[in-house]
Amino acid sequence: MSRMRHSVIALAASALLVGGCQREGDSGNQAAAPAGNQTAAKGKAGQQSIGQTLGQSGDHSSLVGAVKAAGLEATLSGSQPYTLFAPTNAAFQKVPNGQALLQPDQKAQLTSILTYHIVPGVVTAEDLGRAIQAKGKAEIATMGGVNLTATREGDAIVVTDAKGGKARVTQADQLQSNGVIHSVDTVLMPS
Amino acid sequence: MKKFLLAASAAAMAVSMPALAKPGNGNGNGNGGGGGGNKGGGHAAHVAKPQKAERQSFKAPKAERQSFKAAKAERVQFGGGRVEKAQKRQQVRFADRPAKAERKSIARRIKAENKRIERVRENRFEDRRVNRWDDDDRIRTATFRNFNANGDCPPGLAKKNNGCLPPGQVGKTYNVGERLSSEWYQNYNVPLAYRSFYADTPDYYYRYDDNGYIYRVSRDTNLVNGLVPLLGGGFGIGQVLPAGYDIYNVPLQYRDTYYDTDDYYYRYGDNAIYQVDPQSMMIENVVALLTGDTLGIGQTLPAGYDMYNVPWEYRDQYYDTDEYNYRYADGNIYQVDPQTQIIQAIISALV
Repeated sequence: MSRMRHSVIALAASALLVGGCQREGDSGNQAAAPAGNQTAAKGKAGQQSIGQTLGQSGDHSSLVGAVKAAGLEATLSGSQPYTLFAPTNAAFQKVPNGQALLQPDQKAQLTSILTYHIVPGVVTAEDLGRAIQAKGKAEIATMGGVNLTATREGDAIVVTDAKGGKARVTQADQLQSNGVIHSVDTVLMPS
Repeated sequence: MKKFLLAASAAAMAVSMPALAKPGNGNGNGNGGGGGGNKGGGHAAHVAKPQKAERQSFKAPKAERQSFKAAKAERVQFGGGRVEKAQKRQQVRFADRPAKAERKSIARRIKAENKRIERVRENRFEDRRVNRWDDDDRIRTATFRNFNANGDCPPGLAKKNNGCLPPGQVGKTYNVGERLSSEWYQNYNVPLAYRSFYADTPDYYYRYDDNGYIYRVSRDTNLVNGLVPLLGGGFGIGQVLPAGYDIYNVPLQYRDTYYDTDDYYYRYGDNAIYQVDPQSMMIENVVALLTGDTLGIGQTLPAGYDMYNVPWEYRDQYYDTDEYNYRYADGNIYQVDPQTQIIQAIISALV
């Protein structure tokens, strides 16, 4: 279910918000600065949620198991928008003692790792590429509270974690109803 | 039953107090400096400390309220005259105002019970701290001696690194008022994401429990002074929310989506919204994760929002231009100045 609610939280925002809306019709400033991100508008979103798609993916069964163990299934299947950097099964196999993370007493650490792969909102590869192009790299806030850094290596987008580990985006832009999945070849570690 | 016994015990101590006080000073003269020289009752050490005795006697009414505490009562006896007088005053007051006296008596019993347990917890048998969750003394004794020969816990108790805990207490290793064991003192282990909020200070240090709690610990006493539950083991599906979540607290922008019903409650804590069972308050789902960033108009957008991330439904309406950027976080779309990164407007746009 998708709900839409518009309300201006701060009175001071009202005028600015109206101004912003008026600007859409105006479109004068769009010519000055082509806004590529409006092309990634609604309609591109998939029919399934991130959680549903993962559940059907044969290449993400380890991730699904981890998500279940951490109790985050409902989060990725809900209406809130997220971007998920989804480690593949091969990525999980590279994690030392990866199976131990699925034990109940490791739930805190597992949750910390998984939330490090979840980004607020919808970030497409195009959005990432544009940000990287502008600054050379893009800093990405995550739900784990520790930022990731995205850079470009050749044609590929590479995400670097807090420990310096690098994950390459192997399949970008798997668009879902509540966000987008980018498959990565390495599990990112927050610390 | 236990409380009754405690009350009886406390009452017995209270009654015996004047008698204990007699050897120190039977004259009942509680004021002035004259009492000091008469105190001590043959205990040379106490005779040598008349000022301390006098202070004790001055504090006699308070001592009486804490009469359950045997050690303190024993000390107070050396300030006996004032204690006795205070006792009499108290008795008169009780006679005049029985209802209030009864209330005080109940309060004393409760306090006595807590204090008694606290003494147990604060002595060298630190693992006895788990006992206060049980009502039966014998069961407590069985529980705080932990593991059997195989290293397992007795049936019904969960094995934790500090012993075997009763159900419902597995979430956190320590409660407020309990002392951290020595191995916890050594290393600062708070998760990276929380270190800016919970850094050690001259008064307190912070330690993280893998069960999902950060403990604020007093440096003076090594007693837990505060608890901060975090998303993780302590806040997982199938576990009961800690105390303090009785009230609906979901952030405003999510209230149209997550509101309490007869079937589900929703509670916010540690950057997540939990779906809980109304009866048991057991967590059934983590329905949303939040960044927890507190963003307001006039503030600079924090690091991590370099790229456009507006949800699908709003991309036709809010897209980056030279004049304005739009970024999404925690149910809101923020209009941001591209140059300064200062938030100019907040648009609530829950999808």
